Amino acid sequence: MTTSCSCKTWLKYAALGLATVAVIGAMIGYDRGFRQYPQPDWVTATPEMRFKYGSIGAENDAGVPYWIFYVLPRIFPEKLTQDGLVTPGGYASLGVSWEQGQELPIGFTKKTIGFPRVANNCAVCHTTSYRESIDSNPVFVVGGPAHTTNVEGFFRYLIDCAKDPRFNADILMAEIDRVTHLDWIDRLLYRFLIIPITKKRLLEREAQFAWVYRKDFPDWGRGRDDAMNLTKYFMIKAPMDDTFGPTDMPSVWNLKKYVWDKGHRMNYAGDSNDPYSVIMDSALGVLGAPPANKADFLGQVKWLHDYLSALPAPKYPFAINAAKAAAGLPLFDAHCASCHASAKTGTPLPLAAVGTDRGRLDSWNKGAAIKANQVVKDMGLERKGLVEEDLIGYIAPFLDGIWLRGPYLHNGSVPTLRDLLEPAAKRPKVFWRGYDLYDQKKLGFVSDSPEARRVGTRLDTASKGGGNQGHEFGTALSTPEKEALVEYLKTL
Amino acid sequence: MNEEFKLSPSPWKRRFLILLTLTVVIPGFIGLLLLKRFGEDTPVDYASPTEHFKYGSTGGEHEMGFPYWIWKALPEVCPQYLPGKGYQSLGMVYEKKPDGSDRDLPVGTSQRRFQGIDRVFVNCAVCHVSTVRTAADKPASIVLGMPAATFNMKGFEEFFFRCAADPKFSKEYILPEIERLGANLDLLDRYLVYPIAIAIMRDRVLALAGRFDWVFKQHEWGPGRVDTFNSAKVIFNFPMSHLDPKEFDAPADFPSIWRQRQRKEPKEMQLHWDGNNTTVEERNKSAAFGTGTTPPTIDIARIKRVEAWIMDAVPPAFADFFPVDRQLAAQGAPIYQKYCAACHGASGSDFSGEYVGTVEPLARIGTDRRRLDSYTYTLAVNQATLYSGYPWRFTHFQKTHGYANMPLDGLWLRAPYLHNGSVPSLRDLLESAAKRPKAFYRGNDVYDPIKVGFVSNVTEAGGKKFFRLDTTVPGNGNGGHEGKAYGTELSSAEKSALVEFLKTF
Repeated sequence: MTTSCSCKTWLKYAALGLATVAVIGAMIGYDRGFRQYPQPDWVTATPEMRFKYGSIGAENDAGVPYWIFYVLPRIFPEKLTQDGLVTPGGYASLGVSWEQGQELPIGFTKKTIGFPRVANNCAVCHTTSYRESIDSNPVFVVGGPAHTTNVEGFFRYLIDCAKDPRFNADILMAEIDRVTHLDWIDRLLYRFLIIPITKKRLLEREAQFAWVYRKDFPDWGRGRDDAMNLTKYFMIKAPMDDTFGPTDMPSVWNLKKYVWDKGHRMNYAGDSNDPYSVIMDSALGVLGAPPANKADFLGQVKWLHDYLSALPAPKYPFAINAAKAAAGLPLFDAHCASCHASAKTGTPLPLAAVGTDRGRLDSWNKGAAIKANQVVKDMGLERKGLVEEDLIGYIAPFLDGIWLRGPYLHNGSVPTLRDLLEPAAKRPKVFWRGYDLYDQKKLGFVSDSPEARRVGTRLDTASKGGGNQGHEFGTALSTPEKEALVEYLKTL
Repeated sequence: MNEEFKLSPSPWKRRFLILLTLTVVIPGFIGLLLLKRFGEDTPVDYASPTEHFKYGSTGGEHEMGFPYWIWKALPEVCPQYLPGKGYQSLGMVYEKKPDGSDRDLPVGTSQRRFQGIDRVFVNCAVCHVSTVRTAADKPASIVLGMPAATFNMKGFEEFFFRCAADPKFSKEYILPEIERLGANLDLLDRYLVYPIAIAIMRDRVLALAGRFDWVFKQHEWGPGRVDTFNSAKVIFNFPMSHLDPKEFDAPADFPSIWRQRQRKEPKEMQLHWDGNNTTVEERNKSAAFGTGTTPPTIDIARIKRVEAWIMDAVPPAFADFFPVDRQLAAQGAPIYQKYCAACHGASGSDFSGEYVGTVEPLARIGTDRRRLDSYTYTLAVNQATLYSGYPWRFTHFQKTHGYANMPLDGLWLRAPYLHNGSVPSLRDLLESAAKRPKAFYRGNDVYDPIKVGFVSNVTEAGGKKFFRLDTTVPGNGNGGHEGKAYGTELSSAEKSALVEFLKTF
């Protein structure tokens, strides 16, 4: 009796002890694995800071553990390449917009969900930079097309690192130990869970991203992405086809100009109905998964919609010759306004009427739109969505802030506005994209100096999707007329 | 259960105790001994702030420390990679003991016992202490806080990389040398700790050699200079061979580090030659990477002691070494006020002046641009990730486009002049670039009180060859800081007066 009784008591205590350990373990597990901490106050101090560094919820699924993200460029510097050459400089070598003194580049968000994680937000593709002179630092403009950012390079880099056998706990932990002190719980988590799981998750991306490794496609290079194929292969898991539609990142300022009732559609080929849909779909792309917190996600989309609707296009920051610009106005009215400042603006034009490269148009279709809309609907998200029609050609774009939207045409195949006023045969056949020194004479970025060649990525206009033909409007004007027209374009 | 124990026959109790002793007590005791021997992390400390500056730890020994006896033995194991005998031949400064012999370790090295082994590595003083002599036959005075004008940093780095790659870097050669030096290692050290330490050190130095490969490819820095910010790129493991070639060959003089408070208050000056940081403490932690520290291993408390000391440390006066013609100096004062004060401060102790501590665009100052080009925007943003997760994460590094206007405290000890030390004396600096010496010798600590700078026309002395600085070599350009505004068009008499006045700084 006594024995069994004391045994029972003993068992009771043991059970209580075990339960306590389990509860504490669970609390630690929750705290170090899943507990959400808000970002620090400075991130949300101003709308611009929030746009640049604020989380939109992508850390849950697409987030890379901070310390892994931190040490990768130190362990695998040789995998950061551009046009086949190794580019020194860590993540900066990918051309990301990176403000001095900031721990992460613009468009990279740091949030602690159990452990600090790094993910992206819209600003990674929609903040741009320019420099006034070779001896000046970049000026960053939110909402502008990230013409220097090598998105494909970033996708590939993470996968390439994960594929390397050196991506293991021993090597990563050794490097992490050189840069920070983790307590023993974090060390165990990193070694046995976070590092192996991250490796697995990144390797899973390889299959999804198979087409970015295709040898028969050119690199996107700086400032371009193959946007609709991203949607196709990620959102609707379509089988890989042979289409390739690289385009410039678009500017996303002043979105209130798009009015659905006037026939305005969004995206280069009018693929989407309205800004709200585009923001939601793009944000889902950044999340890489259905939102973990739907209410929060809808709040983020609404905030972005409000912010970007009202965000003004940047004014041309350099000198404008007023007389010359005035002389350009009638030329603009005569040769440009019918498409770019009229009821046609913001609506699709038949491809044959403009004649630009058709790669982007062919990379999307009605069936894909229907499927994608269904996927989003199944997440319980409401929006006008993608246009479920056959697309006829590219949108005649609004020209607000056009000075900062080079290179030009949807596929960024013409370096400057001045070059665009030449017939296709006379436009540069090869140039370098993603160098941010501004060319005030030609309006665009310097694209063929020794520096541009070193910093930028080479675009061959004979490559797939990179054709610089079409839009041969105003090309017959005289040289002084073209210069006047360019001067006028500075005022938009 | 208790009852059972009481009833148990004693053999069980004895067996239990034996088992306990064997499995717990003895291993525990051995464990404690090992913990005591290998768990220690104790730097050698010094009560006096100046002794601490010379020999105190920054924490760099944790990651980079050389085992003490290996440090001692290497000059004997690899003498062929040194220009002369011992670390002295690299221009390291050894203080004298009362009996006149050299101290065991040079100024600028610290010691710490860590993981069961005494370790040695460099500290701040290795680059910020040097010697000066009033004549070749006079004894050397050690000056704390002045640029290490005799220390050959490139030679120092190359010595260790070359020696580690030498077949003699093995226990078969090093251990007998250690014994010969009188180490009297105990059995554990002799047969376990040091053999392992030699293997580990060899591996680590050789692993680092790849990252420092670029150093071997640079034109000689010579004594008193370092390529600061290409070295900083190594922290991030930038693939150096792919850098833009214009970033290389960027040697700069070590700076003096007196009077830091005045660089911090009332306004923060742009520090470093190109003014790329405005925060004294951040600049200090950045420099501490050069002493082997990493964010988790830096010894903040001990660095703070150095920081406290350099806040108000002052340079020795020129007049304590040589006479100053006060009358002539007084004639130089108004010239200084007119030409120099706005950029360089009212005096050697009063740093007020409109442009002091701000960056002068390169187009105006016109000095050699390589040091400027070695510091890139890309490096600046990467530096903002340093000390991530700590309250003192770097936030102030910025790319500039010129060189900073420096205050001139202790100016006489900061020769040679310009950021790359390409002009031997102040008097030479007042000549137009075309008339400045095209080549001269660095590393002599004998002072020339007339021209104000170290003796630079002697090729060797006391068995030591000095470094010939050729100003036509990339990075060594002696142009710039010239023209009417810079005083190079003053009359000879005016220049003499100005130089005399500068002796009072």
